[in-house]
Amino acid sequence: MTVAQGIFYLIAALAVAGGLGVVLARNTVYAALFLILALLAVAGIYILLASEFLALVQVLIYAGAITVLLLFALMLTRVGDLEETMVGAQWPLAVVASILLVGLLITTIATSDWPGDADGMITRIPFETLGEALFRQWAVPFEIASLVLLIALVGAIVLARDEEGDVEEAE
Amino acid sequence: MVSAGLVLLADLVLRDKHRGWLPAVALSGLGAAVIWTVTLILRDREAVAFGGTYSLDTFSIYFKFLFIGVAGLVILASADYVKKLEHQGEFWALLMLATSGMMLLAGARDLILIFVALELTSICQYALAAFVRDGKASEAGLKYILLGAIASAVTLYGMAFLFGISGTTKLVAVDGGTSIASLVLEGDPGTRAALVAGAVLLAAGLSFKVALVPFQMWVPDVYEGAATPVAAFLSVGSKAAGFAVILRVFYQGFGFGPESFISSDWSNMFAAVAAISMTVGNVMALVQTDIRRLLGYSSIAQAGNIAIGVAAVAAGATTGASGVTFFLATYAFTNLGAFFAILAISQRIGSYRIKDYAGMARRAPILAAVLAFCFVSLTGLPPTAGFVAKIYVFNAAVQSDLAWLVIVGVLNSAISAYYYLRVVRHMYLAEPEDESSFSPTPMLAIALGVTALGVLVVGLVPTPLIDAAQRAVEAL
Amino acid sequence: MEAVAQQIPLEHFLVLSAILFSIGVYGVLTRRNAVLIIMSVELMLNAASINMVAFAAYTSPAAFTGIIFAIFIITIAAAEVGLALAIILRIFRNRGTANVDEVNALKW
Repeated sequence: MTVAQGIFYLIAALAVAGGLGVVLARNTVYAALFLILALLAVAGIYILLASEFLALVQVLIYAGAITVLLLFALMLTRVGDLEETMVGAQWPLAVVASILLVGLLITTIATSDWPGDADGMITRIPFETLGEALFRQWAVPFEIASLVLLIALVGAIVLARDEEGDVEEAE
Repeated sequence: MVSAGLVLLADLVLRDKHRGWLPAVALSGLGAAVIWTVTLILRDREAVAFGGTYSLDTFSIYFKFLFIGVAGLVILASADYVKKLEHQGEFWALLMLATSGMMLLAGARDLILIFVALELTSICQYALAAFVRDGKASEAGLKYILLGAIASAVTLYGMAFLFGISGTTKLVAVDGGTSIASLVLEGDPGTRAALVAGAVLLAAGLSFKVALVPFQMWVPDVYEGAATPVAAFLSVGSKAAGFAVILRVFYQGFGFGPESFISSDWSNMFAAVAAISMTVGNVMALVQTDIRRLLGYSSIAQAGNIAIGVAAVAAGATTGASGVTFFLATYAFTNLGAFFAILAISQRIGSYRIKDYAGMARRAPILAAVLAFCFVSLTGLPPTAGFVAKIYVFNAAVQSDLAWLVIVGVLNSAISAYYYLRVVRHMYLAEPEDESSFSPTPMLAIALGVTALGVLVVGLVPTPLIDAAQRAVEAL
Repeated sequence: MEAVAQQIPLEHFLVLSAILFSIGVYGVLTRRNAVLIIMSVELMLNAASINMVAFAAYTSPAAFTGIIFAIFIITIAAAEVGLALAIILRIFRNRGTANVDEVNALKW
């Protein structure tokens, strides 16, 4: 086993462990921390794939901002303790479904001929090329994405603003 | 392009403080969009823009007009309703932005643009669904956004497979370069598994937008919880946008007919989904007591009917796909009419229970007549638009050797007749509890008139709309 | 780093992403707290991103579209999370819970 392989398997194991933690942890805050682990591991995968820019974005936005937001939501909505008392009753079914799904996906992956580079090299894409493409070829989706963020902002403000009459329904 | 103008206007709406004028501003925004589209048609019929990611063809123009019409009618119908809400400006802005997202979707032919436009519409719709300040609306919004997020993750995973196997996100290439369509044409067996997996995941994710099984759970809850005009908009707009993407991806990307080696796979998939959706929707609708939930399950069943047209691929695009586009237009008229009538009635009587609709024919004869007429159209009886649309789609299925699906469809129509006509009977034959009569507000009356007229005219003279629908799918 | 491709086949990245995706699906099916459901969805989205980036890295140099796609995924995910949390907070203020099956004025 070479160094690169070792690193890959280590990171992959961390990602899977984090993922399992997210869905299995009893304590909701632990689940959020496991999510951070999984997201950081995914950033590591991006570095292995020579996409440092994406790794950076992943760490800053995903592992940083989004998880903090999620943690806030967890703290604000906790009732009493942080334990999730019950797991849905359908968990055996869910186990079967997930295992079936992973089996199907892996079969698909194994039976397809994926196109690959002839030289077996990962091409490192310079930041400049990415930026060029993002602001030229993909300028329209980029603008729309900014609109989506604006909408989410407006929507969140409208929806979450605290006003009188909100509490009435809380029996 | 068209939506750029819309977006600017929507922004204006956001800041406008003269609240009474907001619907007018929104409507004139739509008017500007119409003029813009028409000039674009006059200048250049077939155009590709934004680096080949967006095409202005007959297909996208057909759907653009459909979305503009739907948005216009919804604005008319909801003008009075929205006056009671706080944050009116945001309501109109979200509605307009959702519409521009749909219009973008109609022309998008690149996976990235499709994804982003899809999210633009969806996020507006999540916010709209949760807009009204009561517990039910928030709850509807929560279910909607959670299922929507799951659906978009599934869609993305499907897109990742398609991108991986083809190395591009283009559905069709402008200059004969690599695209998903050209890959399908090559028919290399090594690409088959990935293409099929991508197609299945993509279809599953998109079934959320159009209310097909397996992502249909949100429909009745959102229709009941959200404001009624919003529900009307979601039921028609979201469905039309979703099917536009499905047609675009499956007919244009994966190809149809003998030259595509996976067309029979995805056709069978849609046939199965159609049969299940129709049955689930209709059977569940039988036991509903709330008229909005009834329409929710009916919408699942109708999505199944429309999916028959998608599955009828073997007959060629002009028969199967045009059935879908034609059905969507008639469904827009019919369902909007039904929702508007319900809005007018229930705003007055303050109840959405079918029981309370007793004797409505005496209290509000016009409203009851429109609602009954729309229900007849949803059932698929003559002389309505719904009848023509159903016959059209069934015919396409027969031509594609899907006779079993037609039998399922006809049986389901019989089931649906029971619950639609039960409401009609209740309105006409039962005794009202309260004799006071009422009529809709002028704006709502206009919207109602347009939809009812649309259902009737298309039912009697369907040829122009069918021609338009067939011209639309020629672009695929 | 460039030698990675020779030592780790593309399929390994794809299998990792398939596993993460399925874990996310499991979480979506079993979790009851809305915030935890969103976390599981994030896992599914990340799985899709890994696929995109892996394909982009392993296929021809011109096909870095996958990385662009991943950037869009992250952006949109942020928007979605923000809006969803706003709705969750409002429900919590009304009802005092963030569990989807206790939110049952409407039938699930």
